[in-house]
Amino acid sequence: MDELTLLRKVRSQPTGPTDEALLNGRARLVEHLAWETASSPMAKTAPAKAVPVKTHRGMHTAGWITATGLVAAGVATALVLGNVVGLAGWRGGADAAAADTLDQAAAAAIATSDPVVAPGQYLEVATHAAYAAYVPVPGASSDAQDTVYLESQDGQMYVPADTSQDWVWVRDSGKPVQTFGADSERAAAADTGDTDETVHGVGGAFYGSPADVTPAKLAALPTDPTQLLNEIYRTTLGQGQSRDGEALVWIADTLRSGIVPAAVRASLYKAAALIPGVTLTPGAANLDGRTGVAIGRDEGDGTRQEIIIDPATGLVIGEREVLLKDLGEMPAGTSMGWTAVTTSVVDALPAGVAK
Amino acid sequence: MDRELNGGVAAIPDVSTDSEIIRRAQSTPAAFAELYDRHAPSIHRFAARRLGEQTADDLLSETFTVAFEKLDSFDLDRADALPWLFGIVTTLIKKHRRLEARLWRAEQHADRVHLTTEHSDDALEADLAIGRLSGAIRRLSKADRDTILLYAWGDLDYEGVAVALGVPVGTVRSRINRVRRILRAAAGRLATEEVEHGRADVAPQGS
Repeated sequence: MDELTLLRKVRSQPTGPTDEALLNGRARLVEHLAWETASSPMAKTAPAKAVPVKTHRGMHTAGWITATGLVAAGVATALVLGNVVGLAGWRGGADAAAADTLDQAAAAAIATSDPVVAPGQYLEVATHAAYAAYVPVPGASSDAQDTVYLESQDGQMYVPADTSQDWVWVRDSGKPVQTFGADSERAAAADTGDTDETVHGVGGAFYGSPADVTPAKLAALPTDPTQLLNEIYRTTLGQGQSRDGEALVWIADTLRSGIVPAAVRASLYKAAALIPGVTLTPGAANLDGRTGVAIGRDEGDGTRQEIIIDPATGLVIGEREVLLKDLGEMPAGTSMGWTAVTTSVVDALPAGVAK
Repeated sequence: MDRELNGGVAAIPDVSTDSEIIRRAQSTPAAFAELYDRHAPSIHRFAARRLGEQTADDLLSETFTVAFEKLDSFDLDRADALPWLFGIVTTLIKKHRRLEARLWRAEQHADRVHLTTEHSDDALEADLAIGRLSGAIRRLSKADRDTILLYAWGDLDYEGVAVALGVPVGTVRSRINRVRRILRAAAGRLATEEVEHGRADVAPQGS
C-alpha cells in the first residue's frame, strides 16, 4: 500500500450529502438565483459579460501551464519505463558557472567545521518561510477574483545533542509578510492568523510521525556525488515537474532542514553540480536580509527553483521558488515560496517550552 | 440523485458540458442549478471529509452561490467546472482552520484498537500508519495540505489542482512530490522496505 492509498483511507469516504441536505442547499441556491434575476436582470446579460472575458486565472491556466504539464508527464512516463538507474553523470550537468560555484561551496563546507553541540546543548534551527495564500478580498463584490499575499511559516526547532532524545519545535502563527496591491493588502489586514504552537517529538518525530530528514537518514546517504544523485533520482522517481528539477527540489528540501552536516552538505552541492539544466543566477541573491548566490533550474513553466548559498562558507541561506512570469497579482521576480534557515548552538531551551 | 459522480468523472455522458451550462447561466441564472445537480455530491464529499458532514451541508449552497457570483472567473474553454468549484470550496474551507486542525488532531490520536477484533494484522498496521500519516498532514504548510487533499480526496489530476489553486502545474507537481515523500516517511514501514530494495538497485557508476 503506498502513501496515497493510505491517505485515501484516512477518514472513510463520505457517503455524500443526505437528500435533505442536498435539497436544502439547492433551495438556497435557487432562491439566490431567483433574487439575482429579479434584482438585476441585466447583470449577466450585458454584452461585455456575454463575451468570455479571460481573467487572470483563466489566462494562466489556459496557456503556458497546460502545455508544459503534458510534456512533463510524457517525460516522466518515459523515465519510469526506462531504466533510470545510472541517470546521473553522462547527460552533462550544471553549466560551468553553477558547477564552479557549487564546487567552491562544497570545498568551503568541508573546510568549515560544524558547530559542536555539547551534551545538554541544542542545535537551534530557526526558519523564516513564506508561502502564497489565496483568499477572497474582504468586502469586495462577490464576483471579484481571489487575491494573494505571502504568509509566513516561521519556527524554531531545537535538536538535542543526543538526537534520539526529545526535539522541540516552536511554530509561530502565520502572518502576512508581503502583499501585492490594495486588494492583497486588505485581505492581509483581515487575516486573523493561527495560534502559536509548541510540539515535542522524540528523535524528531513530531505529531507522532517520523521526520522527513533525520541525522540517521543523512548518514545513510552515499557520499560519492554520482551515486548520491542516482539515489536522489531513484527517491523522486516518476514525480515532479521534471526529473532533474525534482532532484534539485529534493536537495533544496533536505538542505533547508538545517541539520545537514558539512560533509553531507558538500556531497549535496556536488550532486547538484551534476544535474543538467542547473545554472547560476547572475548577481547576488538576497533572501531574508542575507546575501549569497542562487543556483537554480528553470522549470519551463514560468518558475525557477533556487537554492541560495553562501559560497564563502558553504552554508545554506535558504531556498525559493521564483516566478519568471507574472502570475495574477504577483509580478515576475516574486519569490512565491521561500525558506531561510539559520542555525546556532544554544545552552538551553527557551523559557516555557520545556516539557 | 440519479447521477452518481465518482472521482469527478461523469458516469453518464451529458447533453451539455459544464461550460455550456455556465454560458447559459450568464443570461438565465436558473440554469446554474444544473451545475449544482451535477457536482454538489462531489463537493459535499470533499468538504465533509475535511470538515465533517454538518459544515459540509452549509458549504454546499455557499460554494455554488459564490461560484455563481464569480461566474466570470470560470475559463469557458474548459469543459469541466469541477476543478474551479473545488478551488472555491477550498477557499471557503480556509475559514474553518480551527475546526480542521481539531479534526486532524483527533484523527491522529484516534483509538483504533477496537477495530482489531475484526481486522487482520495488516489492517491494524494500516490503522497505525494512518495515525502517523495524520501527524504528518498536520505539519504540512497550508498550501501543501490543500494540494495533496485536492489530489487524494478530490481526485483531481495535476492540472485540475493547478486550476483549483491558481498556481502553475509545475508547482503542483513539486508540492505533491514533496508531500508524498513526507507521507511515505511518516508511514514508516513502507519507507523502510523501499530503501532496502532501492539500495541494491543503485549500480556503481564507472565514472
